[in-house]
Amino acid sequence: MSNHLPAGAGNGGGGGRAGDSGLRYPSNGKTIYHRPLNRTKTAELSKAAFAYLFAEMVSYAQRRVTGIQELEKRLNLQGHPIGLKLLDLLLFREPPRTQLRPLNIIALLHFIKINVWTHLFGRQADRLEKSSNPDTPDEFMIIDNEPLVNAYISVPKEMSQLNCAAFAAGIIEGVCDGAGFPARVTAHTVGDTGGGGSNNGSGGTGADGGRGEGGEMWPGRTVFLVKFQPEVLEREALIGAKS
Amino acid sequence: MSSASKASRLGEEIWKTRIEKVNAELVVLTYGTIVAQICKDFESDYAEVNKQLDRMGYNIGLRLIEDYLAKSNTMRRCSNFRETAEMIAKVGFKIFLNVTPTITNWTGDNKQFSLVFDENPLADFVELPDDGRAQDQLWFSNILCGVLRGALEMVQMQVETHFISDVLRGHDTTEMRVTLVRYIDDELPPEDD
Amino acid sequence: MSYYFAIIGTQDNPLFEYEFGTSKQGGDGMARFTEQARQLNQFIIHSSLDIVEEVQWTNGQMYLKLVDRFFTSYISCFLTASNIKFLLLHQPPSSSSSSALPHPSSSASSSTPSLVSSSHHPPSSTSVIPSLSTLTGGSNSSTSTLTGGTSRTSTSIAANPTSPQTEEAIRNFFAEVYENYVKAIMSPFYRTNMEIRSPVFRARVAAAGRKYL
Repeated sequence: MSNHLPAGAGNGGGGGRAGDSGLRYPSNGKTIYHRPLNRTKTAELSKAAFAYLFAEMVSYAQRRVTGIQELEKRLNLQGHPIGLKLLDLLLFREPPRTQLRPLNIIALLHFIKINVWTHLFGRQADRLEKSSNPDTPDEFMIIDNEPLVNAYISVPKEMSQLNCAAFAAGIIEGVCDGAGFPARVTAHTVGDTGGGGSNNGSGGTGADGGRGEGGEMWPGRTVFLVKFQPEVLEREALIGAKS
Repeated sequence: MSSASKASRLGEEIWKTRIEKVNAELVVLTYGTIVAQICKDFESDYAEVNKQLDRMGYNIGLRLIEDYLAKSNTMRRCSNFRETAEMIAKVGFKIFLNVTPTITNWTGDNKQFSLVFDENPLADFVELPDDGRAQDQLWFSNILCGVLRGALEMVQMQVETHFISDVLRGHDTTEMRVTLVRYIDDELPPEDD
Repeated sequence: MSYYFAIIGTQDNPLFEYEFGTSKQGGDGMARFTEQARQLNQFIIHSSLDIVEEVQWTNGQMYLKLVDRFFTSYISCFLTASNIKFLLLHQPPSSSSSSALPHPSSSASSSTPSLVSSSHHPPSSTSVIPSLSTLTGGSNSSTSTLTGGTSRTSTSIAANPTSPQTEEAIRNFFAEVYENYVKAIMSPFYRTNMEIRSPVFRARVAAAGRKYL
């Protein structure tokens, strides 16, 4: 790739270096700091652009890992920083009255289900559930009947285990970690089997049956299993006792 | 009507009526995390990062052209490279990235032009790393070069594409240079009908 | 008023620091900390982190207002969504140098000289903390422990660290810094707890200080 610069566009042409930082800025002030943060709040791009980028991200990741677990781990890692950034961006955009840091698990999960999901995917996540298993009070579920990130990826047969929603799981994990609720978040497809994907026996699927929304209607239904670190529940118990 | 304004109207029309859309920030953040990851994987060897981005773009271009042709309904081949440029800027970029770069700086032989991006959604939230090298070596939006190269190759045009300036580097414009190397089918036997 | 502003990361690591003075009432925007006070500022800011951590899980507001006081140094806090702390230490001018400014007659200013003269042996701040813990509990009435005598005190931002006007000015300052902070962290190359080195960011913080404080 050749690197010839247009006349005058070298060090001199493009704005000065400032302070002890080595960064140069355009003289016309085209930096992030000169644009309102809400400029792109409702801006749109083509779904295709996202699909192409996402598919390339997956296949790039695939070249650098061995096995599906590692691949999902990597997709999770790539989603994580997005969650961290969205947490601040979306709270910044809240009107002052509702500009509150989430202080408990429920408030946090609602923020994800409503604010994060609506912003990224144009609708809320479908459901929140708490594990009904008394042995896993640290597990919660965010349920999406049809994750957008899966809509574009036709997973090859030999990788039928792969759930590209691991990327969205990483975003959730980033929001949780950033907000001070460290967690592990994994994505499980439960559509086909009515709950087999999430193999740790957390009891979300019983409720599914009750609602009569079986896997046939939503073959791609994905459960994002959020497992909080012990200290999160300890803190929650402490705060609950105080108030 | 000039081919320029025809293309421009076509692009607007398709964008409004035939394109499924998503929140722009989802795309921007996804691209950002891709570039950041590649920089990490290649330990900030930015020449290599540029290559990787170009390669990703090329793969996208190969697949994107079909989508483009179907959406734009333009099975007719562009009559010359100038018309091709109009369609790239006012239809191609419009319907995928909702921007219309300016076409400028043609060479006398009509084989080379620039796309100047007044807006570049991919770079919306970006400040390059302050490591003394990124601003001299990294072309953050280099994926777009690959996309053009790949897409045009599928319609029998071999082009060479590269950025020559970027506001992220402190330049006043973001400018990509596109050069027609040759029409591929000029030298190939015609394919099956 | 002299100000010391710091952004503190999740590991109590400083991400950004900036010192400035008031631009109100003809102020020149320069900080008037003595060399000793300047060294003390970081210490004061860090010791207030404990108090912030106490309230951060009971108060969901981002702007926590005044959280701590150390003699004439007052600490206001803003917590970001990701629990990064913005801390602003504000110190009214000491009586000897403030003749041109409205003189605050609150109890705070009377102890000003002691900060300067005794900073090598900073008295224990424990006597201050208890009253502050009630302050940060969110009850309005308890602010009287800090604002005793407000009726006789100037409400100007430049002179009175506890007036409602000052509280509001600091809120605006934090809000503007937060907007720029979010811009800084949105960059795909920014990772949590990275120092913020962008000169544009620094300039924006300075501008917010001039505008509101």
